[in-house]
Amino acid sequence: MKYALGIDIGSTATKAVIMTSEGKIAASAVVSIGTGTAGPKKALMEVLDKAGLDRDQITWTTATGYGRFSLEGADDQKSELSCHAKGVSYLMPGTHTIIDIGGQDIKVMSINDRGGLVNFVMNDKCAAGTGRFLDTMARVLNVEVTDLSDLSEKADEVAEISSTCTVFAESEVISKLSTNIKIENIVAGIHQSVAKRVTSLLKRCGIKETIAMSGGVALNKGLVKALENEAGCKIHVHEECQLAGALGAALYAMENTKKAS
Amino acid sequence: MGETTEVKKKKRPLPKSRVMLNALVDSIYQDAYEAERKGEPVGWSTSIFPQEICTTFGVPVLFPENNAAGVAARHDSGRFIQTSEGELGYSNDICSYARLSIGMAHDIATDPNYEPPAQRMPRPTFLLCATNSCFQLLKWYECLSRDLNIPIFMQDCLFNCFEDAPADHRNKYGKSQILHNIKRMEELFGKKFDWDKFEEIQKISNLNSRLYDECVLMNDKTPSPLNGFDLFNYMAPMVIARGRKETTEVLLQLKREIQEHIDNNTSTFGSTKEEYRVDWEGIACWPNLGYNLKTMKKYGINCVTNGYVGAWSLHYNPGDLEQMASQYMLSSTNVLSTNSMMGKRADVANHFGCDGMLCHINRSCKYMTYHMFVGRQIVEDKCNIPVVTFDGDQADPTIFNEAQFETRVQGLVDIMKQNKEDK
Repeated sequence: MKYALGIDIGSTATKAVIMTSEGKIAASAVVSIGTGTAGPKKALMEVLDKAGLDRDQITWTTATGYGRFSLEGADDQKSELSCHAKGVSYLMPGTHTIIDIGGQDIKVMSINDRGGLVNFVMNDKCAAGTGRFLDTMARVLNVEVTDLSDLSEKADEVAEISSTCTVFAESEVISKLSTNIKIENIVAGIHQSVAKRVTSLLKRCGIKETIAMSGGVALNKGLVKALENEAGCKIHVHEECQLAGALGAALYAMENTKKAS
Repeated sequence: MGETTEVKKKKRPLPKSRVMLNALVDSIYQDAYEAERKGEPVGWSTSIFPQEICTTFGVPVLFPENNAAGVAARHDSGRFIQTSEGELGYSNDICSYARLSIGMAHDIATDPNYEPPAQRMPRPTFLLCATNSCFQLLKWYECLSRDLNIPIFMQDCLFNCFEDAPADHRNKYGKSQILHNIKRMEELFGKKFDWDKFEEIQKISNLNSRLYDECVLMNDKTPSPLNGFDLFNYMAPMVIARGRKETTEVLLQLKREIQEHIDNNTSTFGSTKEEYRVDWEGIACWPNLGYNLKTMKKYGINCVTNGYVGAWSLHYNPGDLEQMASQYMLSSTNVLSTNSMMGKRADVANHFGCDGMLCHINRSCKYMTYHMFVGRQIVEDKCNIPVVTFDGDQADPTIFNEAQFETRVQGLVDIMKQNKEDK
């Protein structure tokens, strides 16, 4: 049996997947710290430990994400765009449009039936609407970012956040808090603000069914709902969505393993 | 001290055409310094002004846009932009070339300890402003004129909103401005205009435009004989010395060198294999030119053409002032609708066999940003190639992000690779 490793070193989290030559996921790991930290090493150790393997039993390692060039011992690096395309196509065959909200960027990708990238658009100029934006808002509200989803489900109305700039949105949220607007409604407003920004990119890239969302932010059901409302289409989320980039990298790594043998 | 293992890469000698080009640029600056020293007129001009006029007068003119590109490429733009935004209070939303040159002009005029950049601009005594490539130029030159208290010669170039054949009244308007400017310049310079010399210079300008077009077109070969970024360098004599014989010499030498590359199947792209041919759309990202080139080379991308570099190619019958005025209204594709402009870009991308297009979304240029985002679809539809955009700026070093650029380039490569495999 041969093993291939894919590691997605993002700006806020590191994800790793080991695949077998039979195309099965042997193990996966998610560590909530990203490039420039101990995250990649930790994720690597964790995924190897779960799979019961040593590093030298891995035939090929493909790194992706913003920290892809910093991983020692990686055999190659792929862009996260292609890795998400490949990973989502594996998890949800038939997907033609992917939304990925990363720590510092938003990507909308158009893919073909083989999981190949056809076209993509990314956020311009600033980090508005990215994962970091949500992290900042959660910190201002003094809640965990993982709580945002449940909170927005309890909203009875949407408190509009008009600024897309993270810093200005932060002060807008603070001013809403000071006027006693419910946190739940503010969170719904934050989700709507992200959804509007993502929808613009989605429309620019072109909406082609089926649409899926990948990355850790896809676990936020409240945000996905806001996005569906804004874009007017169904957005599918796989339970392993956070692993999509690492999984795609592992699939590329396995292709190289096979080519090498 | 430990022994260093680092081996310094030997720099390749510049081709003869580049040596000639550098000497030409240097002599143009020297002429301007000499005029400054003697207290004679020295002009600053927008990049596509009918420079044949001042060349005829023998009055030196320098080009802030061209100079700003060099200053930015040498990573020296920040301090002038800071003067503009700080001391003078201009918004960081306006063009960075404008911020740079307004800041530089202010420093030249007011700072007794002014330290010039590597290529020093002398203090101007007059300004030349043609509104053909951008509409911010008008305010920019107005600000320069006010700050330095010097006159402007205007060549108002009309937007070609109907895209019909140049109408008579438009050309007459353009011609009347050329005549008016010549008359005013005779007064300011205290010189009589030599109409015979003017026609000679017009002839040289046309010849240079033709030669330059030929050089650009020769890059349609595979591999492309020039790395497309070379064109950003070779457009310099077209910008600053279109009417000079020395420019003809540079272009003839360049043409010979290109032909030599074609004959030998070589390229200034170097030993890297030209895996992908890309149309770089928009101006260079000057502060990050080296990084852009290095990253593209890493993935085997050669930028074989660029729509921007052709803006200084003007073709008219020498002596025909209406036609000359018309050309100045049309030379920059910025005066066309997005459909026409990006349609032309798509035709070029097709002709050069491009596998993709990489668009620099220049934060300074809102006008081009309009074109790029809408035009992206036009190019994708007409050429069936991927178009990828990235953020940057022509002179402001604070906008571009290396990681963002490489991610987009790698994504573009993945699509181009897949398209080649599918063929």
